[in-house]
Amino acid sequence: MAVLPTEKHTSPATPHTRGGFGGWLLDPKRRGALLVTPAIAILFVMNIFPLMWSFGLSFFNYKASSQRVPRFQGLENYQDVLTDDKVWERFQTTAIIVGSSVILQLIVGFLLALLFAKAFPMRRIVLMLVLTPMMLSFVSVGVFFKLFYEPTFGVVSYVLNKISSEPFVMLGSPEGAIAGIVIADAWMWSPFVMLLVLAGLVSVPKYLYEAAEIDRASKWRTFRTITFPYIKSLLLLAVLFRTIETFKLFDIVYIITEGGPGSSTETIAVYLYRTAFQFFKTSQSSALAYIVLFIVIVLTNLYLYAVNRRAAEVD
Amino acid sequence: MKTPNLKRTLMGATILAAGLNAAPSFSADITITMAAPDWPPTRFMKEHFDQTYTSPDGHTTTLDMDFIPWPSFYERVAASLTSGEQKYQMIVTDSQWLGAFVEGGYYLNLTDRINEDPELTAIMQDLHPALVSAYSTYPHRTRAQLEEAGVVPAPGVNYYGFPQFPDTYVTFYREDIFCHEGEMAAFQEKYGTNLPCTYEDWQDTDWEKWGQIGEFFLREAGDELAGETLSEPFYGIAYQAGKGYDFSTMQINAFIWQNGGDIWDESKAPEAQAEGVVNSDAAVEAFDQYLSFLQYMPPVAKTGQMDIFVEQDLYMQGKVGAIIDWVGLGEPVLDPNASTVHDKSAFGPAPGTRKDDGSIDRTGNIGGQPFVLTTWNSDEVVNEALNVVKWWLHPDTQIEAVKNGGQSGLMSVMASPEYNDLRPWNRAHVEMIDWQKDVWHIPEFFEMLTQQQEEFDKAITGQIGAKEALDAVAEFQQELLEDIGMIE
Repeated sequence: MAVLPTEKHTSPATPHTRGGFGGWLLDPKRRGALLVTPAIAILFVMNIFPLMWSFGLSFFNYKASSQRVPRFQGLENYQDVLTDDKVWERFQTTAIIVGSSVILQLIVGFLLALLFAKAFPMRRIVLMLVLTPMMLSFVSVGVFFKLFYEPTFGVVSYVLNKISSEPFVMLGSPEGAIAGIVIADAWMWSPFVMLLVLAGLVSVPKYLYEAAEIDRASKWRTFRTITFPYIKSLLLLAVLFRTIETFKLFDIVYIITEGGPGSSTETIAVYLYRTAFQFFKTSQSSALAYIVLFIVIVLTNLYLYAVNRRAAEVD
Repeated sequence: MKTPNLKRTLMGATILAAGLNAAPSFSADITITMAAPDWPPTRFMKEHFDQTYTSPDGHTTTLDMDFIPWPSFYERVAASLTSGEQKYQMIVTDSQWLGAFVEGGYYLNLTDRINEDPELTAIMQDLHPALVSAYSTYPHRTRAQLEEAGVVPAPGVNYYGFPQFPDTYVTFYREDIFCHEGEMAAFQEKYGTNLPCTYEDWQDTDWEKWGQIGEFFLREAGDELAGETLSEPFYGIAYQAGKGYDFSTMQINAFIWQNGGDIWDESKAPEAQAEGVVNSDAAVEAFDQYLSFLQYMPPVAKTGQMDIFVEQDLYMQGKVGAIIDWVGLGEPVLDPNASTVHDKSAFGPAPGTRKDDGSIDRTGNIGGQPFVLTTWNSDEVVNEALNVVKWWLHPDTQIEAVKNGGQSGLMSVMASPEYNDLRPWNRAHVEMIDWQKDVWHIPEFFEMLTQQQEEFDKAITGQIGAKEALDAVAEFQQELLEDIGMIE
């Protein structure tokens, strides 16, 4: 009677017994690294390498439209950018737009959250409609508002014409143009602030309000001592998140005013775009981009700090 | 025994391939990818090419047009060129871009090929010299400099482009109101001069009358216009006053040149100065005159957003009586599906500045685009691309293009008796083309243009005056041009 060989002696295909490079590679110890390698490779090619490359370029005098061999010039581009009055003007404009827009978003978002924290008929449908702006593309919002503000046939001018006989030329002055951009940006992103605040509002335990009612606390005191502590971290998150995003505002500005009148609404992002892709000052624009990146990193760290604090509070 | 056979086969294939490459009459499949703005003149070129083009060298040639919307055309082309992707074999380019992309090594110098090819030489000789100057030469040579040479192609001049669509701006106007008897009589009574109705009337229209037209036709809702009651405000005139790209420079330059002023003259570098020229008294006076007419235009002019498309749109909506705009934007005006004034529109030359002898100076800034070849093409592709150039600039093709809303730069075509009747703006175009000059072509043109547009925009929106704006432009240009050695 023949004795059949047992399986454990005849299965060379198992990883445990595979030899050579394949076996080494498929070792469970390396499987995790193997799985993330494609993602890291893509990240390196698409993000890290261009970042390093552009960082290197910022120390040269390279122009993408020129055949001249780039010359190393150290920190000269950074110095040029930081001593350029135009850059500081653009930072100032950006700060005004960021400040005004974020404040407006907070006010509108907060009021909307208070509204939607209570039940009312068709609340879900209205809530969905209110959330729609933040789902639209920047380009669509920019074009809508540009047409709204158009003084000959725009809806804003049309409505205001009923009160005044003069056409309403909103984008004809620096103040009006900034207001126009702020309104468009706030319209788009107030729902985002509302969502965050609403999350805080619905997390307040009902018994606290009942206790406050029994104690006959005023509305303001109830808000200050019960509601606000629950939403303050979320409000801070909203401020930081919207500040970072608005700081990089490009599309809406470029479409509604193209930075005008003059350069009164030209944000740092629009100026950076012009420097890089219209004037082809590649190295100088790289230096400016890294300065902007530095500011965004500072803001992001503040944001992460707020997130961690919020997490600690929840715990 | 397998190996020697394989070797023999490979050697044979190599010899055959080498022989085929060397053969001059080898016909191939050639695809010419052309970057083109998305509008009727380029759409027609593609359609007509597909219907009629046959390669004289026996190639099977495909013209693959990459239609790019106008607002992003420069950025898309520039990004493609500077990224090194080498996507395009031909490019429709604004004349201002020549310097930037010649210096970048992307546009092919065609001078030798034009000199060696009698057909191309004949084309250059037949092209209007204003177009050759603006569309083809880099470093830029003025029309006067080219004519001084006495021969075409002029010695010592580098040629790069051929006209794809030569454009000029003309007056689009509403015949129903400009030829309305009641309006004409009222205008005559108010200003002591005639309201321009016919082409000949527009030939005699200067800026002063343009302003009178603006004032005369400024009407409120409820007012009468040509016997009808208006339901909304109406405006008499409009021209470009936009911050974007070159949408005010093109019109303002006309005012400055006509008034005896000038822009920085690159053809006289490095002696030509910016300060004292760009902000001369004549230039300031001309810019002031340009600004003075904005009050009669639709209120969007006060926002600095009245670009060439906005004024065309307002005109097509029937809100403006007369506009000055590019011929290339004329075709939609006659389209019943797009324009409320398609059956009421007529065309005349743009107004100008009346001189002491009574004549009118209509010097203007040329529009339109040449097409160029790129430097990475093989000889075979270059030769075929030049065949496409010859096909496009053949009189038969040009006539077809003109019939379909295009324009020709060939003097022989423009001189043909049928030309003026092919499209309603042709007579005005032919008259205007002789007045054309161009803005700068140096690589830094976009930086100069953007700063200038910003300062012009400040003046248009009433933040600063004409002198302040031109002083700022002159100072910026002087500094920039000194930095790059264009001014010494």
